[in-house]
Amino acid sequence: MSIGVYHPLVQTILAAETEQSGVAKLGINLPSLVAQLLNFIILLVLLYLFAYKPILKMLDKRSEKIKESMDQAEKIKLQTAQSEEQIRSQLEASRKEGQALIAQASQMGDKLKEEARKEARQEAEALIVKARSEIQREMEDATDALRREFADLAIKAAEKVINQSLNKDSHRKLIDDVLSQAKTLKG
Amino acid sequence: MRKSGCSPIFLGLGITILALAVISFVNGAIGSKFVDVEAFKFLRVTQPHVSLATEPIFHIAGFPITNSIIAAWLTIVVLLILFVIGTRKMKLVPRGLQNFLEFIIEALLNLVEGLAGKKNGRRFFAVIATIFLFVLFNAYLALFPGFGTILVFEGEHKKELLRAANTDINFPLALALISFAFVEYWGVTTVGFFRYLGKFFAVKRLFRGNPMGIIDMFVGILELVSELVRIVSFTFRLFGNMTAGEILFLIVFFLWSWGIAIAVYGLEMLVGIVQALIFSLLTLIFAVLAVAAHGHEEEHKEH
Repeated sequence: MSIGVYHPLVQTILAAETEQSGVAKLGINLPSLVAQLLNFIILLVLLYLFAYKPILKMLDKRSEKIKESMDQAEKIKLQTAQSEEQIRSQLEASRKEGQALIAQASQMGDKLKEEARKEARQEAEALIVKARSEIQREMEDATDALRREFADLAIKAAEKVINQSLNKDSHRKLIDDVLSQAKTLKG
Repeated sequence: MRKSGCSPIFLGLGITILALAVISFVNGAIGSKFVDVEAFKFLRVTQPHVSLATEPIFHIAGFPITNSIIAAWLTIVVLLILFVIGTRKMKLVPRGLQNFLEFIIEALLNLVEGLAGKKNGRRFFAVIATIFLFVLFNAYLALFPGFGTILVFEGEHKKELLRAANTDINFPLALALISFAFVEYWGVTTVGFFRYLGKFFAVKRLFRGNPMGIIDMFVGILELVSELVRIVSFTFRLFGNMTAGEILFLIVFFLWSWGIAIAVYGLEMLVGIVQALIFSLLTLIFAVLAVAAHGHEEEHKEH
């Protein structure tokens, strides 16, 4: 088969093959190679300065920050738990204290009540004693007064009955008689 | 969509794409063999011209500046603008572009640190990330219109102003050399110069009079060869994949310019990120192996 039956594209490639040697056909040449090497080095330096350095720094900074905040959150959580525990224990303590106070107060109230009752009873007893002695005294007074009045009455009655004054001796005798008789009234 | 299966907007869009696909197919290289519609001739894509070698656009002091070098510069400028704007006013709580860039960098950092450990990860990161971003942005920028379509005329000869740097073999080769150089550098600085070389010229056991040392020597030479072959495999993996993508574009546009090309764009986006990941991750893995040579040696002594 001649070269003419192939597609024009294939013809081009075949023609090129006959014309040039392998490496030259691929296009390897030193100036281009050096240029591309330089291109890579330039890009490496530029990207290092403008991309990797700032971005890696930022990534490190961010991860550090995240770690820091997480540590802090952990610490805060711990603190919260601690203060909760503290509050709970405080509440418990004050509850106990309150109960103790209440107990003390009720005890004191009982004592006060008891004392008041005792005092009242004592006072009442004293009053009764006093009243009794008063009554006794008054009764004695009344008996005396009655006796005196009775004597006068008796004398007056006797005067009226006798209608005359007795002499002094007989008078005294009469009174004494009456009194001795009246003594029987006493009692 | 939920109401009756298909909203009028989607229906219209589908019909438009279908119509464009049909027209472009009929008007394309295959269809025009059967029906030649004069009216659409101006839309016909010209027969692609594939050249693996790049072409110099201008010279600076005798130094040829090829279209792929210009494309690499464009990638550098785009990346630089993106990162300078994104990191100009950094905030602890990121938003918008800063957030997006931080997401990319953090994802790469996690990948690198996950494979290489925290300490070595930070050492390797800048080079690995730059390889990834350079390859990825080279590939993605090449999908924008203008690449391969803006032409510079030099007499009768026309040249593309922009050509994806990934498809110029000098770029993958440069990247492979950088990758090789950094891997060796990290290996030597971590393990020590003679110890690192001892991995490749393993004559220690032979000198001690142990005939089994020949196996060590042979393994060492194999290691050395594989170390050097990496440069070639790195170069041709990236160059081959990206150039194949480019040629696929040319052919698809030539044969069927409108409908199917959308699918090829999706494919190329996937290829771009996959190649960027492969290049950077392989470099990372080789670096991890080079640094780990120390531990390997220790293990040998214990046996």
